[in-house]
Amino acid sequence: MKLRFVLNGESVEIEVRPDRRVVDLLREDFGLTGTKECCGSGECGGCTILVDGDCRLSCLVLAAQLHGRDVVTIEGLARNGRLHAVQEAFMEHGAVQCGFCTPGMVLAAVSLLARQPRPSREQIREGLSGNICRCTGYVKIVDAVEAAALKLANGDRR
Amino acid sequence: MTNVLIPESMEELRRILDTHPGARVYAGGTDLLVKMRSGLEAVPPCLVCLERIAELGAVSEHGEVVRIGACVTHSRLLADPVATEHLPVLVRAVGVLGSQLIRNMGTIGGNVCTASPAGDTLPPLYVLDAELELCGRTGSRNVALRDFIRGPGQTVLGENEILAAVRIKKPRMFNLCHYEKVGQRKGLCCSAVSLAAMLRVSSGGVVEDAALAWGSVGPTVVRSREIERILIGEELSVERMREAAAEVGKIVSPINDVRADAAYRRAVAGNLLLRLAARDESCL
Amino acid sequence: MTLRHGPLEIGCPVPRVDAAAKVTGEEKYAIDHTPENMLWAGVKRAGVPHGRLRAVHVEEARALPGVLCVLTAADVPGTNRQGIVHKDQPVLTEDRVRHRGDPVALVLAEDRETLAKALALVVPDIEPLPSVHGPGEAMRPDAPAIHDSGNVLLRAVIEKGDASSAFGECDAVVEETFEVPFQEHAFLETQNGIAHREADGKLVMTVSTQAPFRDRFEIAHALGLDPMSIRIISPYLGGGFGGKDGATVQCLLALAAMHAGGRPVRMTWEREESFIAGYKRHSVKMHYRVGAKRDGTLQALECDLYYDTGAYAHLGAEVMELGMEHAGGPYRIPNVRVKGSCVYTNNPIAGAMRGFGVCQTAFAVESVMDMLAAKLNLDPLEFRRKNALRRGDENCAGVTMVHSTGIGACLETLGRHPLWLERRDWKRAAAPFKRRGVGLAAVFNAMGYGRGLPDSAIARLELALDGRIRIYCGVSDMGQGNSAAFVQIAGGILCQDTSRLELILPDTDRTHPSGSSSAGRTTYTFGNALVQACNALKEKLLHRAALVLMLDEEKGLALLPGRVRHLPSGREASFELLARMLPEADRASVGQFIMPVAHDVPETGKEFAIGFPHVFFAYAAHLARVEVDELTGRIEVTEYLAVTDGGKVINPQGFEQQVHGSVAQGLGYALTEQLLLDRGAILNAGFADYILPTALDVPEIISVAVETFEHTGPFGMKGIGEVGTNGPLPAVANAVNDALGRRLTRSPLTGSRVLRTLGEGPAQPAIGGAPVTRHEWVKRGGGSS
Repeated sequence: MKLRFVLNGESVEIEVRPDRRVVDLLREDFGLTGTKECCGSGECGGCTILVDGDCRLSCLVLAAQLHGRDVVTIEGLARNGRLHAVQEAFMEHGAVQCGFCTPGMVLAAVSLLARQPRPSREQIREGLSGNICRCTGYVKIVDAVEAAALKLANGDRR
Repeated sequence: MTNVLIPESMEELRRILDTHPGARVYAGGTDLLVKMRSGLEAVPPCLVCLERIAELGAVSEHGEVVRIGACVTHSRLLADPVATEHLPVLVRAVGVLGSQLIRNMGTIGGNVCTASPAGDTLPPLYVLDAELELCGRTGSRNVALRDFIRGPGQTVLGENEILAAVRIKKPRMFNLCHYEKVGQRKGLCCSAVSLAAMLRVSSGGVVEDAALAWGSVGPTVVRSREIERILIGEELSVERMREAAAEVGKIVSPINDVRADAAYRRAVAGNLLLRLAARDESCL
Repeated sequence: MTLRHGPLEIGCPVPRVDAAAKVTGEEKYAIDHTPENMLWAGVKRAGVPHGRLRAVHVEEARALPGVLCVLTAADVPGTNRQGIVHKDQPVLTEDRVRHRGDPVALVLAEDRETLAKALALVVPDIEPLPSVHGPGEAMRPDAPAIHDSGNVLLRAVIEKGDASSAFGECDAVVEETFEVPFQEHAFLETQNGIAHREADGKLVMTVSTQAPFRDRFEIAHALGLDPMSIRIISPYLGGGFGGKDGATVQCLLALAAMHAGGRPVRMTWEREESFIAGYKRHSVKMHYRVGAKRDGTLQALECDLYYDTGAYAHLGAEVMELGMEHAGGPYRIPNVRVKGSCVYTNNPIAGAMRGFGVCQTAFAVESVMDMLAAKLNLDPLEFRRKNALRRGDENCAGVTMVHSTGIGACLETLGRHPLWLERRDWKRAAAPFKRRGVGLAAVFNAMGYGRGLPDSAIARLELALDGRIRIYCGVSDMGQGNSAAFVQIAGGILCQDTSRLELILPDTDRTHPSGSSSAGRTTYTFGNALVQACNALKEKLLHRAALVLMLDEEKGLALLPGRVRHLPSGREASFELLARMLPEADRASVGQFIMPVAHDVPETGKEFAIGFPHVFFAYAAHLARVEVDELTGRIEVTEYLAVTDGGKVINPQGFEQQVHGSVAQGLGYALTEQLLLDRGAILNAGFADYILPTALDVPEIISVAVETFEHTGPFGMKGIGEVGTNGPLPAVANAVNDALGRRLTRSPLTGSRVLRTLGEGPAQPAIGGAPVTRHEWVKRGGGSS
């Protein structure tokens, strides 16, 4: 099928099998390897992307479903060379170790903060509970999201 | 290759189902696509995604009935003011279903039709005496949820029939609702035992009416008029709950599986009643 | 951007240099490399725990369009044996299947779909043999032999003094049996890599590996190749934790590349295959007996350990060795006898995992310590402090602790923390149906390889033509942040900021052999080599600047970002200028280091080929606060405190990262993680049923560093990568005992086990009063209970 959608702010068109998993479409057809596959069954959040602003598991979304949608991957989060507040916070607060969960975690956090701009630490944990991290023990990730929330609330857009 | 069709109306869906025998419908894909990958479900010749059919995606009020479209995602339900106001026991359960990611994709219709003994929406829907609106080739029919699910993964959904909506009468006669899910961890928790409850408790602390439903302790959700009757007319106290808890073991039929053993499920199913007496879960 | 731009300083919480590319998704892991014209390789696995492989039917698979070849053992040149120390694992199964994951055929195909179809068409013909699934079963005289050498990989003893008689002199003795299951690393990036063969026969591989330099030798031995004709590139790993130490895909991938006509080949283990074929933490059964005098002085410890190493050795003997070395805990015990048996079974292969054998014995020893304290009516913290090792003491293995030994300070610091001081009030405030408890654990973990092989690193620095300084790093970074530490060390010594430093990740063609990323050794060993290289480069730059600036002596010269300044005159020579003036060979400096070893090797532990004994240890004192729900048995850890001695801290943020991460893995091990096995079949081979902690399951972790000074370490540090994993299971078990008066001796500490123990009659008091009795556990055949 001819798939037309917006990818990281740009309109794209691609000939693709309708049943192709979006995680494969992104990684292999678009070369955007920031989105990771870690389990293939929706249990770990490594493949998280934003579709029309909502975080979704790209290993469980089929290409056909993206038609006309607005998709953001980790590569599209920074704008004009400026990192998103969440990305900056992750770097500053030591929330990145091996970094494999990071793209999914960052997007899940962005999605959470869009819905809940001033979450408590417990609410942050809840919002990120679908994203497994094996390295950090989550504490610094929560620190980073808390700091990013404050920055965004103070009008420091992105 | 599997064709994937995404109809935008019920009419279009009807046409597709009529012309594509063997087609499988899905909304969020969090059950079907996972089972297709693991081999538990065969790869069908055609997949039909229901997520763009507006008629299936709305929550509406019709007098005393709340109608939830089958493709309303768990996230959308949690944000819906009608659901939040009138169906707190359901909203409470959906709030601890999966994760933000799963809730953005999974739907109430998917949870009902998957009919897993551990489905999180099911115990609340059972205490709410939910009804299902099924849509087939020849028209619609309404089926009570308790008659809809026959066993694990088995429903009375006919060929070319889809679940269009869940209909729930606003529960006016209860003033306390409760939901507790027990699993191996707090996040992304797959239920090993769950309890949904609605009670009407008098100002004197006496139970006047009760609706209880247990999940993951039988092939389908377990409701028991006997246990409910034990509570009715009694004080909502730990001692009374202990007595009722002792009887719960007789009405559940849990299994051993990778999540938990039967003895544990049986014991916890009873124990969860005691939490009702702790009285920090009241609503309405 | 609010990051620092100044020169890096040792001791400051500098954000990691690798974070920027990881946070934008730009960083390419091994799994992200997909060269043009790539082929896919995959393996058919036996599916039977033990059997004779009579034949493999490959014709149908071979005939499938898009399949280049289907290889079996007959196609493997060389020895067809891989392994790190003990080479007993076939690359492709010859005649004996020893576990369900044994690879019987290798398929090379044009794309993933064809590969999957072809694998489904490969049919192994296996005559099943009786299988054994536990050390007890495997050691019976009538047990089927898994290897020609029998079912015991290694039996060993570590002893000092005379434990048997010493028990007679004890005023209190406790005895107990403990059992822990297999644990999965569950790194998010699964085992994978790409490889191609160049025209001259050189094999080039980019692979997610903890040991790129050793991999060459493992592949060469297995496939009859020249190790120097193999180039391994090791990008950042998406997690390792020991599971990528030793060949995973490497030998299979190399074999595939040899049949690919020069085309690149990819092998990626999907999650389910990662469970079935990947290495595990050993499941261990431990019988313990420990005794002390009335005043709390430990006198005697005896234990029998049975390590289930699965179908092949991997690092089984070394894992058991380390567990045995740590079996007596970080204490002074004059009479010790530790017996260990490392046993083959037809279970999945057990190997290296963070906490390497120690995680298991820590559970047992820290539990019996609490039991003994209770029996003697002594405070569990005071009891530990009284017996804690000090510098100059002999540890339980008989080695003198001549290096930094901070366990006493850790315990003391913990004892001053409000979480400990306010524990009684906190416990009393439990809500209805909740019981609260506080538990301790004193843990340690050796750093480095120990004796028997060089724990060595070689660091190379280069002044590039653009004036930047390149660090050629020979050790892999699997997320522990060693790369970032190296940049910080170089920046600190040479007074440079991040923008002037470049790190080259391990590449056997460009960097120097520096051992594996394991054993908590990389920042210490490579760091020391790097310090040497930095100092040499600094001397060189100052000298060359003196020449360029026409100075009659080298005094008064200082390194500044990008330049050398003559402080008295203010004149400067830029690094770019110096780089242009120096011949290429003169722009580099090399440093090397071998970790010191123990010099008093006791007359015991003779069975160990390598490892025994170690002489550097990280120490920690942990505290867990738990709330147990009486209705569900579920344990919630509400707070966790880890007080750690890692010598001096180079980067406080990096230090905390390691503490948090290791504690989180330890909590998973304590509460939810286990492989559920049924005759070797993993019932929970996926993340749906292998329960990892989520953000809602790990509490706030408080990390406090107790900074001893490790004189031999770079800037006084020593490695703490593993010690944190050893604390949570015993700390939580002790806390549960404190809450309920019940002791759990089998992990994970599930709600089911807790509820069952609550139902078993009256509770025993945790501290004071009647002695703690032994628990008999009802064993269920085959599965877990």
